[in-house]
Amino acid sequence: MASTFAAVFEIVSFGAIIVLVVLGLGIIASMMGIFNFAQGEFVLLGAYVTYLAYAHGAPVWAGMVAAPFVVGAIGFVLEALIIRRFYAAPIVAMLGTYALGLIIRESVRGLIGGFYLTVPEPIGGSIDLGSVHISAWRFTIIVITLLVMGGCYLLLARTSFGLRVRATLENPALARASGISTPLIYGATFAFGAALAGLAGALIVPVFSLFADLGIRFLIQGFVAVMVGGVGSFIGPVAGAGVIGTLSAALPWVMSPVVADVLVFVLAIAFIKFRPQGLIAGKGV
Amino acid sequence: MGGASEAVARVGEEPDVVTGEGLPAAHAPAGQASAGWKVLPIVEGLVLLIALVLPWVLQDYLTVFATRVVILALFALSFDLVWGYAGIMSFGQALFFGAAGYGVALLARDLNVTSILLILPAGTLIGLTASLLLGGFLLLGRYPSSVIFVSLGTLTGSYAADRLARGWYYLGGQNGIPSIPPLTLGSYEFEEGPVYYYMVLGILVVVYLLCRFLVRSQFGLALAGLRENEQRIAFFGYKAQHLKAIIFAVGGTIAGLAGSLYAFHEGFVWPNMLGVVFSTQVVLYVLFGGSGTLIGAVIGTVIIEGVSFWLSDNYRDIWPIILGVLLLLVIMFRPLGLVSLVLGERERVGSFGKAPNKAKESGHAAP
Repeated sequence: MASTFAAVFEIVSFGAIIVLVVLGLGIIASMMGIFNFAQGEFVLLGAYVTYLAYAHGAPVWAGMVAAPFVVGAIGFVLEALIIRRFYAAPIVAMLGTYALGLIIRESVRGLIGGFYLTVPEPIGGSIDLGSVHISAWRFTIIVITLLVMGGCYLLLARTSFGLRVRATLENPALARASGISTPLIYGATFAFGAALAGLAGALIVPVFSLFADLGIRFLIQGFVAVMVGGVGSFIGPVAGAGVIGTLSAALPWVMSPVVADVLVFVLAIAFIKFRPQGLIAGKGV
Repeated sequence: MGGASEAVARVGEEPDVVTGEGLPAAHAPAGQASAGWKVLPIVEGLVLLIALVLPWVLQDYLTVFATRVVILALFALSFDLVWGYAGIMSFGQALFFGAAGYGVALLARDLNVTSILLILPAGTLIGLTASLLLGGFLLLGRYPSSVIFVSLGTLTGSYAADRLARGWYYLGGQNGIPSIPPLTLGSYEFEEGPVYYYMVLGILVVVYLLCRFLVRSQFGLALAGLRENEQRIAFFGYKAQHLKAIIFAVGGTIAGLAGSLYAFHEGFVWPNMLGVVFSTQVVLYVLFGGSGTLIGAVIGTVIIEGVSFWLSDNYRDIWPIILGVLLLLVIMFRPLGLVSLVLGERERVGSFGKAPNKAKESGHAAP
């Protein structure tokens, strides 16, 4: 019983991490129609900001709070300078963001060297439930993921900003005619997606430690999750991320990790092939 | 693949008139074409000339490096066919390159097969089979697949293969398969050096000429139409998905050939050959040199590999950053790559099939 509970906690906590990483990717893909290859590097930047704060003597949590704002601001600038040119052609957008990601990743690699840098958990120790000990920080990640998910949903579904974003997604020409500044909305959406990636990076860096390829690890998993969930809505990619995250954490418990790793991808691609609209079809929230 | 061969037959039968009507820019009016200075053959001739004399002016270790570049150029050619001519973004081209490399490495390790007469066909066949399977799955079917799905599907395939190779003990895990014996022909052994160089250069030239013939044929015209406007080409009666699957398989075949040459040249194979590293590398070569021109793929490979070799002593750390910046600049300001600096749009698009006869030509000039 205790080991089952520990396994379930492991699976849920990894699923939460994937959801956290995919949130920003999904929002950019769904609301703007581009697959952002630099998203993994935004995660990396978030982790790097947290490390910088820690290395300069600030408390780790302060770095974690700062990370989404810093990365969001970087995202806003990049959108205005570069990404904006790519909206017409999704494939070119992939290549352009890939180049951008390459630049960011290699710059960070140059800054940190080839090392694995550790950042301590701001909330250490473990929570004891009878005979089971679960990591307090991983539990915190699950809680924050749920809060962020709820917050994003409310932002998109209940606020006037969310309404404008959805209007821009649904019909850009009509949105412009109604007085919505679509370039500003695109910029803000991209910055928001980048900020979420920055937050994800900041939260996971104590678990995975900081290294230059931190983002790549999640990027392809994130893309697959977005496609499985369905592009076009907020809830689709989140559902996809839940499924992919849970599967990739759960399958290694019942079969060899190598096979499980590959099987998740094969299953996901086959699923998308036969259900291109994804788990949750349709636009909106 | 019954439907596929039907599509080929259709391409062959297509009347010449499509050449003019389908793509107005596809062929220049006779006067301008003959008066104009053709740049493409000059560029191609120059590249070939330089490639031919290289081993005489380079030191031995540089010839070995040049051989690697020629093989990578062959690999780039395969990606250029798929992306530059058919508009399929194959982000996992290394899957076929690496699968063939691993395949022939296993042949050499477990069955002691090193004869070039067996290895190259085997590698080609592995590339063909793998690309037919993956391309058939991703591209064919009741509903046309979106470009995003195909690019992410190929990327995922390549990534999954990489992970599989890393974790599978039989394939050597992280270290790959070391110490592959040299290629042989009878009792002759192809060692690294000028002989190997000229052999792969010969293969590159032959494949290049075949590709050139292919993209300038009626099939190539259909591909160009597919790239520019898929819906219209479907309305003409072409099976767009079949055309895509065919060119994807041709690309995979060439990648397989390149992969088997690469495995025997380097003497070992390792998981990166299958994975995202090589897949994106080849995208860089082609975009940088100029997609949609075969020579652009070759030039891009030579420049990127050459500069990275030259810089690797002093600036190894910042080279990837420079590469990223260059790529971004090319994508934003020179989407047709470096070749477009000397090659005009008309010549890039070129003409297809037989030259249209004079009567039709004059009919176009005075509509």
